Amino acid sequence: MSNDNTQRTVTVSIQRFDPDVDKKPHMQDYQVEMTKGMTILDALHEIKTHQDGSVTYRRSCRHGICGSCAMLINGRNTLACKTPLIDEVGHKNRVTLGPLPYLPIIKDMVVDRTTFWEQYLRVKPWLIPPDDIPEKEFRMSKEEVNALHDAESCIMCGACYSSCTVIGLNKHYVGPHALLKAFMRVMDPRDEAPGQRLADLDGADGVYRCHTVFNCIDACPKGLNPTQAIETLRKLAQKRKKFETTRRKRQQHLHEPIPAK
Amino acid sequence: MTNDVIIHDVVVVGAGLAGTWAAMTAAENGVKDVAILSKIHPLRSHSGAAQGGIAAVLNNVRPVAGTGPRGPLEQIPPGEDPVDSFDLHMFDTIKGSDWLGDQDAIEILVKDAPDVVVQYEHMGCVFSRTPDGRIAQRRFGGHSAPRANFSADRTGLVLLHTIHEQALYHNVKFYSEWYVMDLIIEDNIARGVVAINVLTGKIQMIRAKAVMFGTGGYGQAYKVTSNAYANTGDGVAMAYDAGAPLMDMEFVQFHPTGLYRHGFLMTEACRGEGGYLINKDGDRFMSKYAPEKMELAPRDLVSRSEQTEINEGRGVMEDGQGLFLDMRHLGREKIMERLPEVRDLAIAFAHVDAIDEPVPIQPTAHYSMGGIPTTADGEVLANAKGDLVTGFFAAGEVACVSVHGANRLGTNSLLEASVFGRRAGHAIADFVKGGAKLYPVTSDPVKRNHQQVQQLFDNDGPELVEDIVQELKTTMTNKAGIYRNEEDLKSALDTIHRLQQRFKNIRVMDKSSRFNTNLSMTLEAKHLLTFSEVIVQGALNRTESRGAHSRTDHPKRDDESWLKHTMAHKGEDGRPQLSYKDVTLYWDRFPPQERKY
Ligand SMILES: Cc1cc2nc3c(=O)[nH]c(=O)nc-3n(C[C@H](O)[C@H](O)[C@H](O)COP(=O)(O)OP(=O)(O)OC[C@H]3O[C@@H](n4cnc5c(N)ncnc54)[C@H](O)[C@@H]3O)c2cc1C
Ligand code: FES
Repeated sequence: MSNDNTQRTVTVSIQRFDPDVDKKPHMQDYQVEMTKGMTILDALHEIKTHQDGSVTYRRSCRHGICGSCAMLINGRNTLACKTPLIDEVGHKNRVTLGPLPYLPIIKDMVVDRTTFWEQYLRVKPWLIPPDDIPEKEFRMSKEEVNALHDAESCIMCGACYSSCTVIGLNKHYVGPHALLKAFMRVMDPRDEAPGQRLADLDGADGVYRCHTVFNCIDACPKGLNPTQAIETLRKLAQKRKKFETTRRKRQQHLHEPIPAK
Repeated sequence: MTNDVIIHDVVVVGAGLAGTWAAMTAAENGVKDVAILSKIHPLRSHSGAAQGGIAAVLNNVRPVAGTGPRGPLEQIPPGEDPVDSFDLHMFDTIKGSDWLGDQDAIEILVKDAPDVVVQYEHMGCVFSRTPDGRIAQRRFGGHSAPRANFSADRTGLVLLHTIHEQALYHNVKFYSEWYVMDLIIEDNIARGVVAINVLTGKIQMIRAKAVMFGTGGYGQAYKVTSNAYANTGDGVAMAYDAGAPLMDMEFVQFHPTGLYRHGFLMTEACRGEGGYLINKDGDRFMSKYAPEKMELAPRDLVSRSEQTEINEGRGVMEDGQGLFLDMRHLGREKIMERLPEVRDLAIAFAHVDAIDEPVPIQPTAHYSMGGIPTTADGEVLANAKGDLVTGFFAAGEVACVSVHGANRLGTNSLLEASVFGRRAGHAIADFVKGGAKLYPVTSDPVKRNHQQVQQLFDNDGPELVEDIVQELKTTMTNKAGIYRNEEDLKSALDTIHRLQQRFKNIRVMDKSSRFNTNLSMTLEAKHLLTFSEVIVQGALNRTESRGAHSRTDHPKRDDESWLKHTMAHKGEDGRPQLSYKDVTLYWDRFPPQERKY
C-alpha cells in the first residue's frame, strides 16, 4: 500500500518518438512535483500541459474503464490512470514510460492498434442469435452469466495483447483479447453458432497458437484470465459436435424460466 | 480542395450509445452509407463508464412484503401482480425533473424503455439475472419501484460493447480518432462537418444529407467531476457557434457520491443496494432532509444535503470536505457480486476496502441536463417556436429533449441515449429515404478551419491553456455549482469574459501534424469557455430554485415566472441571447406539485 505523504520532485523518463522527425526513439527526462494521490496519468498531464505539449499519449476516463491509457511503465504493461506514481518511482525517484511493445509507434506512447482491432473483428464479436426470438428476454441462469464474467469485463486496453510473446513473432495470431471475446460468444447460451466459431478458431493462428506463457494474465489490469478462456476454447474445439448438440438442446429452453434448484 | 471532401449519406458525430444507436438503426433500416466519427476510439466513449443501470418497467422483481422501502427484493412469481407501471415511471421522472421535463417526451422515454432494454438483451448484452433467468433489477434514487436493469456495476460497458458490435455487423463505417471541429449550417440546413484526422493532422470536410450529434456531456467544466477528459461539450459549443440554440444549460447535475478528491463515481447503486451516508458524528444525516427516501432521494437533494453538512462543519477528512459512504453492512458477498468495480476503484484510489471501511466521498459534477433542443425524433429545433434545422439531429447527453428537466434520475440517461438515439436513427432513415438532398457547401469551411489552426500555431502568446482551464473549473465549481447566488454568478461571468480574452494570448506547444493532442485539447478549452458562459448566464437570469439549480437568494420554485425552458442563441455581439419556451405538461395527469421526498 502506498505511503502517500511524501511530497518530492521525481524524474519521469519518457520514450519519445515522432517518425516524421526522429530516426529512432530516444529517452527524455521531465521533473515533476509529486503530490498526494498523483497517478502516472496525472504526472503525464502535468508534463503535457505545463512543460511539453508534444508529449503524446491516449487517455479519457481517468479511472480504468475506457482502456485508452495502457502503456509500458517500468517495463510492465498497465494502465497509467490506475497506477500511483509513488508506487513506481522507488528510491531512485524515477519512473520510465514507453509505448506498449510489439506494435508500431505512431507517436511517443501512442501505438498503432490496427492489427489488434482487425483480430477483434475477425472473431465476429456480435451475437448470432437463434431465429426464434422471444417477446421478452431470453432466460439465462446466474451460472451462465457468471461464466462470461471475465470476457464481459474486458476493456480492450491491449495490455495482454502486447505482452504476448506469440504476438511479438506473429501478427496473424488472433490474440488473447479477441479469443476472450470469442469465448464470450461461444459460451453464451443465446449464440447459435458456437460450432462455426470453434471451427474458425481451430486453425494455426487460433487457439493452438497460444503457448500458455501466461504473460496476458500478469499484464491484465482488470485481473482477468485470458489463458484459461483459451484453454477452454481448445478443449471445446476438440469436441465441437458434442458441444453443438448441447447448445441446440439448451436453446430449446431459452424462453422458459430457469428451474428452481 | 476536392481531395479534402468526403461524402456520406449520413454522418454521425460520437460513438457512445446515442450516436451508435442512431447509426446502427439508420443502417438497419436501409440507409447504405452511414459513417460515425469519434475523437476517441468508439469503445473508449464515456457511455462505457456508466455503472449502475438502465431504467425500464419490466416488473421482474418486487420488494419482499413487510420489509419496507429499503428491504430485500425478490423475483415476482409468474401470474402475480406487477408493482411498477408506466405511469409510476413517468411520475417519478416528472417529479425528479421538478416539473421542467416535457411530459410528452417523458411518456415516450418510459414507453419505449422495455423494448429498448429487451433489444439489448436480444443483441447479446449480458445482464445480471434473477433466479428464474430474467433481467435483474435494483432500486435507484427517486424511482419508487425497482426498475434499474443492470450488469453488476459495469452496465455502460456491456451496453456500449453490444451496440458497437451491432453497428459493425450492419457495416457502419467508423472514423476512429477524428476530431470534429466545426458544424456546417448554411441557410438553416446542416450540410456536413469539418474534422481533423488526428493521425495525420489533415483537415477535411465530410458532407452528408443528414448530420447527427451524439457527442456527450460537458462535465469537464467543473473541477471535481465524474466525467472523462473527453466530456468537453464540443457538440453543444459547435452547434451554438453554428447558430443553433442551446436549452436549459444552467441545469448541471452533481452526483452525491464522487470519490473524495478524485471525483470518480461510486455508483448510486451503492445506495440502491443499501449503503448509508454518514457524517462526522456517525449520523445518517439524510433523515433530516428526506425522512422517507433517505439516501435514495434524488441527486440534487442529496448533494445539497451533503453540501449543507459540509458547510456546517460536519464533514470528514482533514479539510472537512468529505462524507462517508458506508457499505460494510452489505457484506462481502453482495459487494463482490454487485459492486466489484467500485470496490476496486476505492481500493486503487482511496486505499479503502468498502468491505471493511466506509468510503470517503463528496459531490461531483456528473451530468448535463441541458443541451441542443430536439423533438422526440432527434430533430434539432431552430428556435423557441419549434422550427427545425433541416438535416440536423442530436440525441443523448448532448441533446435536451427534455426528459430530465431540472434534475435527472439515475439510470434514465443510458435509457435516454438509447431510446432517442434509436428514434433519431429511424427519423434519419425516413429523412434520407424520403429524398433528402446533398446540399452544396457555398462557403469554404476547410479554409476557415485551416486558418483557425494556423492562427493558434502562430500565436505563441504567454498564456498556457491549462492555467485558463483550471481557473475556469475552479470558478464554475465555486460560483456556479451546487449553491448559487447573484453575486457569485456575476463574478463568474466576469471571470469567464476575462478568460475568453486571455485565451487570445495562448500558445500551443506542439505544432506538429501527427497525432497532435495538444491542438485538440486547445480546441476543447475554447469550447469549455463558450458553453460555460451560457450556463452562467442562464443561471443568473433564472431567479428561482428548481431541481439542480439552487439559488440561495431565491430559494423557492416559482412556477408563475419560471415554469419554462431557457433557450440561448449566440448573439451578434457573441454573447448569449436568452429566450424562453413553454414546458409541455399533461395538466390533468401530472400537474405541478410541491416536491417532497
Ligand atoms: C461515471 C458515470 C457513470 C454513469 N452511470 C450511469 C448509469 O448508471 N445510468 C445512467 O442512466 N446513466 C449513467 N451515466 C450517464 C450516462 O453514462 C451518459 O449520459 C451517457 O452514456 C451519454 O451517452 P452519449 O452517447 O450521449 O455520449 P458519450 O458516451 O459520452 O459519447 C460521446 C461521443 O462523442 C464523441 N465526441 C465528442 N466530441 C467529439 C468531437 N469534437 N469530435 C468527434 N467525436 C466527438 C466521443 O468520442 C464519444 O464517442 C453515468 C455517467 C458517468 C460520468
Ligand atoms: S484513461 Fe481510461 S483506462 Fe486509463
